[in-house]
Amino acid sequence: MVNWRVQGNAVVRLSYANGIVPLWRSPVMLLAGFLTPLTLVFFLVVIAPSAILPYGIVGAILFTALFTGNGIMNDCAYLRLERQLQQVFVASPVRPTAYALGMALSELAFTLPALVMFLVILWIVTGIGALPVLALLGVVLLTWLMASSFGFLLSTFFRRLREIWPIGAVVFTALSVLPPVFYPMSVIPPGYRWLAFLVPSTYAGQLADRAAGLSVASINGNPILSSASFDLVGLVGFTLLFVLASMQLARWREP
Amino acid sequence: MPVLEAENLVKTYTGARGTIRALDDVSLTVEKGQLFAFLGRNGAGKTTFIRIASTLLLPTSGSVRLFGYDVVTQPTDVRDRIALVPQEGRPFDHLTPREHIREYLRMRGSGAERASDRAAQVLHAMGLDDSADEPALRLSGGLQQRTLVAMILATDAPFLFLDEPTLGMDPVARRQVWKVIRQAARSGSTILLTTHYLDEAEHLADELAVIEDGKILYRGGSEALKSRVGREVRVQFDGAVPAELLRPYGDLFHEEDRSILLTTRAHVPTLTELALSRNLNLSMGPVTLEEAFLKLVGRGIEEDEEGSDEGGAW
Repeated sequence: MVNWRVQGNAVVRLSYANGIVPLWRSPVMLLAGFLTPLTLVFFLVVIAPSAILPYGIVGAILFTALFTGNGIMNDCAYLRLERQLQQVFVASPVRPTAYALGMALSELAFTLPALVMFLVILWIVTGIGALPVLALLGVVLLTWLMASSFGFLLSTFFRRLREIWPIGAVVFTALSVLPPVFYPMSVIPPGYRWLAFLVPSTYAGQLADRAAGLSVASINGNPILSSASFDLVGLVGFTLLFVLASMQLARWREP
Repeated sequence: MPVLEAENLVKTYTGARGTIRALDDVSLTVEKGQLFAFLGRNGAGKTTFIRIASTLLLPTSGSVRLFGYDVVTQPTDVRDRIALVPQEGRPFDHLTPREHIREYLRMRGSGAERASDRAAQVLHAMGLDDSADEPALRLSGGLQQRTLVAMILATDAPFLFLDEPTLGMDPVARRQVWKVIRQAARSGSTILLTTHYLDEAEHLADELAVIEDGKILYRGGSEALKSRVGREVRVQFDGAVPAELLRPYGDLFHEEDRSILLTTRAHVPTLTELALSRNLNLSMGPVTLEEAFLKLVGRGIEEDEEGSDEGGAW
């Protein structure tokens, strides 16, 4: 029988212990949340036509959400392999879902200021309204949930700390930089656009662009593939898939 | 009434050097309210046993039941009743010892007031008052370890697993921790601890088990283990002494550059003469758990087994 009060407490206290307290005592950690997306936006400002810039800002917003996946993967693997702290939570009434959610929220604490800053920049550049911002935040929330579940799942399979950095770099670059997240779908030649939909974050990118009022390229002239509904189903579907995979396949106990 | 029952427990690891049996048909019971110590060298199988019993690791075969719940098929029922100090664990960097205890208790369902009160109580008992509000990253390794132990002992969980709880602590801190462990046992928790400190096992344990190469070699009290040596005096020679000279007087062991002889009082004058004639340093005392371990296992507890896989196995 699950004690929901215990699980709720665990989520809140863990996000406080691993997110709020470190941020409060070492605010310099905030820089990590800003640095990469800001660099990518900076390059877009310098080298790309100005019309691309809003896509870059929306991309930076999604990047912060996607990067929580990398953060949770790193933190969970570190706490398990280096600190043996995850073991303290395994051998306790705290369930893996509460642990993962608490860790995911703690990562969100690090990225929230960057998220707010990019939203303000987007408002300055595009004049985005309140309702589209809410829609955009919905996309961000799903993206955070998807990336966090994936990050936690991956973290439980590492055997050595050394494996984390290269795998994290490959996986989260593939999720955030390569697909049309920072740039519009129209940059990809029409015949190859369907390929982008193999990457879950493409759906988030398309939806976020739509929410921000940016034009979205047609996918091979197909009205279904080019619709917001298709993007929403794709994002919700992948999010559910990763959440369920994380709940069923994550190694809370070692084999 | 046993609260922990392990039956024919086997854990094997397969690696580049073939299959290693970390636990080899281990059967064991721990009674309610008992303070039970697992004594063994690094790689003997102590941690593997704790990891299986605390639901961190699956066994290859055999079973462990805790409070009647099977650790493999009913892990959540087990987890609701346990707390664990992992071997070589380290706390969160930015949290203070007080916050560690308070937050962990709240995660386990305690109210804010009770968590704060209990934190203050345990911090005091563990001698952590002066460091209670310092972030863990500013604390020494020993204080960090004490923080982790305090966090777990504060839970008052019905069953506590303590895997090398005093590793890296100075002698004063170790004694302070022993006191709190004893208090936890007195207030009703059953405790299973692993240690390779013989004095710790002797001081704390109601009962102990000596484990070597995944097998339990002895189970019982520390006095009974010492009496199995069958000698009264431990004589130690620093430097090389031909074995044939000492063997007639008792059981001889070699540790690094010293020879240890377990003998009777009657032989002490002769052995003293022998040491003086060969200009050797000699020290002696009553037989301790160290000698009992040495005689039982054939090696000292600090001697590492080359190529041990424990801890590295996953």
